[in-house]
Amino acid sequence: MRFLVRRLGFFVLTLWAAMTLNFLIPRLMPGSPEQALRDRFSKGGQIVTTDQLRRVLAEFGFDPGKNVGLQYLEYLKSMVTGHWGVSIGSSLGVPVTTLIGHALPWTLGLVGIATILAFALGTLIGMVAGWRRGGLIDGVVPPVFVVTSALPYFWVALLLISLFAIGSHPLLPNDFNYDQGLHPGFNGPFIGSVIKHGILPAGTILITAVGGGILTMRNNMITTLAEDYVRMARAKGIPNRKIMVGYAARNAFLPNLSGFAMSLGFVIAGTILVEYVFNYPGLGYMFYNATVSTDYPLLQALFLLVTLAVLICVLLCDFAVFLLDPRARAKG
Amino acid sequence: MSGIKSAAAAMLAVGVLASACGGGDKPIGGAQSKSPTQGGNTSTGAHKKGGTVTIANVAGQTWTCQFNPFNPAVNAEAIGFVYEPLVFVNVLKNGATTPVLAKSFQWSSNKESIVFTVRDGVKWSDGQAFSADDVAFTFNLMKKNPGLDLYSLWTGAGLQSVTASGDKVTFTFDKPAEPYFFNFANQVGIVPQHIWSTGEAAAKPTTWADPKPVGTGPYTVNTCSSNNIEYVANGNFWQPGKPYIQKVEYPAYLDNNPANLDLQSGKAQWGGQYIPNIQQFYTAKSPDNHYWFPPTANVAIVANVDPSRKITSNLKVRQAIAYALDREQVAKIGESGYQPAANQTGIVTPTFNKYFDSQALQESGYAKPNPGKAKQLLQSLGYSTSKPLKLNIITVTGFTDWDASLAVIKQQLKAVGINLTIQDMEGQSYDNKLYTGDYDLAYASQSGGPTPYYELRQLLYSKNTAPIGKQANSNYSRYQNPAVDKALNDYASADANQQVTLIKQIEAAMLKDVPIIPTTESVDWYQYNTKDLAGWPTESNPYAQPAPYNIPDVEQVLLGLYSKSAQ
Repeated sequence: MRFLVRRLGFFVLTLWAAMTLNFLIPRLMPGSPEQALRDRFSKGGQIVTTDQLRRVLAEFGFDPGKNVGLQYLEYLKSMVTGHWGVSIGSSLGVPVTTLIGHALPWTLGLVGIATILAFALGTLIGMVAGWRRGGLIDGVVPPVFVVTSALPYFWVALLLISLFAIGSHPLLPNDFNYDQGLHPGFNGPFIGSVIKHGILPAGTILITAVGGGILTMRNNMITTLAEDYVRMARAKGIPNRKIMVGYAARNAFLPNLSGFAMSLGFVIAGTILVEYVFNYPGLGYMFYNATVSTDYPLLQALFLLVTLAVLICVLLCDFAVFLLDPRARAKG
Repeated sequence: MSGIKSAAAAMLAVGVLASACGGGDKPIGGAQSKSPTQGGNTSTGAHKKGGTVTIANVAGQTWTCQFNPFNPAVNAEAIGFVYEPLVFVNVLKNGATTPVLAKSFQWSSNKESIVFTVRDGVKWSDGQAFSADDVAFTFNLMKKNPGLDLYSLWTGAGLQSVTASGDKVTFTFDKPAEPYFFNFANQVGIVPQHIWSTGEAAAKPTTWADPKPVGTGPYTVNTCSSNNIEYVANGNFWQPGKPYIQKVEYPAYLDNNPANLDLQSGKAQWGGQYIPNIQQFYTAKSPDNHYWFPPTANVAIVANVDPSRKITSNLKVRQAIAYALDREQVAKIGESGYQPAANQTGIVTPTFNKYFDSQALQESGYAKPNPGKAKQLLQSLGYSTSKPLKLNIITVTGFTDWDASLAVIKQQLKAVGINLTIQDMEGQSYDNKLYTGDYDLAYASQSGGPTPYYELRQLLYSKNTAPIGKQANSNYSRYQNPAVDKALNDYASADANQQVTLIKQIEAAMLKDVPIIPTTESVDWYQYNTKDLAGWPTESNPYAQPAPYNIPDVEQVLLGLYSKSAQ
């Protein structure tokens, strides 16, 4: 019980520290919301003074003249109560919750599915490679994916684009989440279009993320295979497949799972670079946009989501370890 | 892929192209009415309805589906499509006016009040009648909610009252207000009182989303999703038989690349895009693809002339730079010829030839590059090619055309003994330095207006500057000259001929003091496809600023277009 209470206390403390940083970091960026707005505004040749834009922003709830301490307290209150305010950046006036509501499904769908796929594939390949140590799969697949996992996201993305999406009749679209002009809904063309638009970005995440899973799983497999209970199982004449899956992989899999929990937490942040390169309108792209237009309310809410997602995943992972591992209970 | 956006595409200005005053348009100072069918464009006769136009103009974000015409983030999707101004001012024809919701207007002799006569028979898209009261309501709403008053009409322009009586609306000011005509008559969209005086619109007009806008304009919003806005023709529109085009699609492009590809293939027919290598990428792909880039304002080297800046406050240094520049070469290599070369008077040519003092330019010696003279000036200060003067210039990261221009400029200055260091900065850091005067030289651009007055006032008026460390409005060079201030002040009440004289006085100051060194002329980016659509604005028929991001010009273009297959 003490373990659980301590973990929860730690969770609250970390959350508060992270939220304070989330408040400070956007405000330490160069520039200000009115400057960003002015830059966008000058596009149509309209001459608007910074003072006027400050008045406009004040109407939308941004008042830079206010005492910073007060702003901080209001910020904490609004974060906790869920009153996240409206965007003061490029989507001026749109409630932050609406914006996030639009982007979140796309990111969860794209990055979430890609991460789960990468995890499943990585575990599977790692298991087989570890089982047949020195075999063909072990000799080729892990080294290849170790190399690909070291490649930067955006570089892989550009490579895929130049392979599949260039030319007058590209194989796959490299932009956006679905074809313009389609009406979102539960219909064939729309779903097909969503899948088509997701292949390249998801492929990018898969190629770069699968390597880590393969390597840890393979190494864990090899260690586990040397355990006495595996030898025991062999001696009993249990079929190989059953030993591989039920005895070795089941135990080798545990460290991989905690890594997976962490990476699920980061799914919320989206993979900014992937979404940016593919102009995929998810949370990562929104993060980028909010930063460029110095959109404090949106940035704060996004930071909060990422913080919460990571912390909750870590907390759940702690609890899982607590339940699964008697040693953790003993220490606690 | 993403991210490389041209300066030009990001810092667009009001475009201006000189042309003979045709089609019965009247200059701003003038007054009387004309029938709607004689509008700004010179299309002959009526056309049949039908057809669709798709716009390709990168917004860099998905649509928010808000159409509040007072919200600066979305008004470019509302004004011109749904909401209309009183009068359209064509900056490409020396500010010629076309009546829209007002059928005529009359200035008082001292230009401190103006009376608009509104058009009758106009209906809002929900069927209710439009009246002069709506106009007075709109402007008084801006008085009550300063956040709506984007052009600071009540606080800066000296607007005192707006009252309606019958079909007349009277505006009174506390000083001559002609220069603000462009803002209050042309850029403010009139909103319906019966909608904006109730509910959330009345309670919070600044932040109201206005998701289903009711206007008098040619289109209404049919559907809006984050990926696309679809406008359809407004059945209640007051111009009989118009608009010809029944549907406008406005997809949200996040990046130049897909927008340019859609323009190339003809999937989108109306572009406001910067397209690198446009001949090969765009016009060579189809005989129906065309472009036209009317010059607008100046792109310039802005010198910090504050006395605390020892080097750039020295006139000889600025003169040397102005003499050393080969602007034709900068335009040709740096801007691929899309932007023409500028000149030291600060007058955008051929657009404002009427105001351009070419004789003064010739006499000043800045008409042609003169590296010899530049070397001589630098030598008198003790610098030479072997002992060069070191200078920094700030510019914005990602404005690739500016980077290319600066590379050319660097070479040209190197030859006369100036070692120029180019500092590429992230947009907001650049702005901070520029606004507060924390720089020696800056590469910068401002927006223009229907006459050179608007740009020169921003650049040179002492009230638009601020001490070093404080944010200046638009006069970043910190230039102050009582003679220039006086000319700018007098301009508001001057007649058309006097205005030309006053502008020429300001040109003389530009040549004498060299506070700004114009290099190229920024342009309006505009591509159009003629496969099915006709009636586009062209160089020979510049009835409106052609790029789709110009408000309210977009309305004039939409009214000019028609589908060939529907005829």
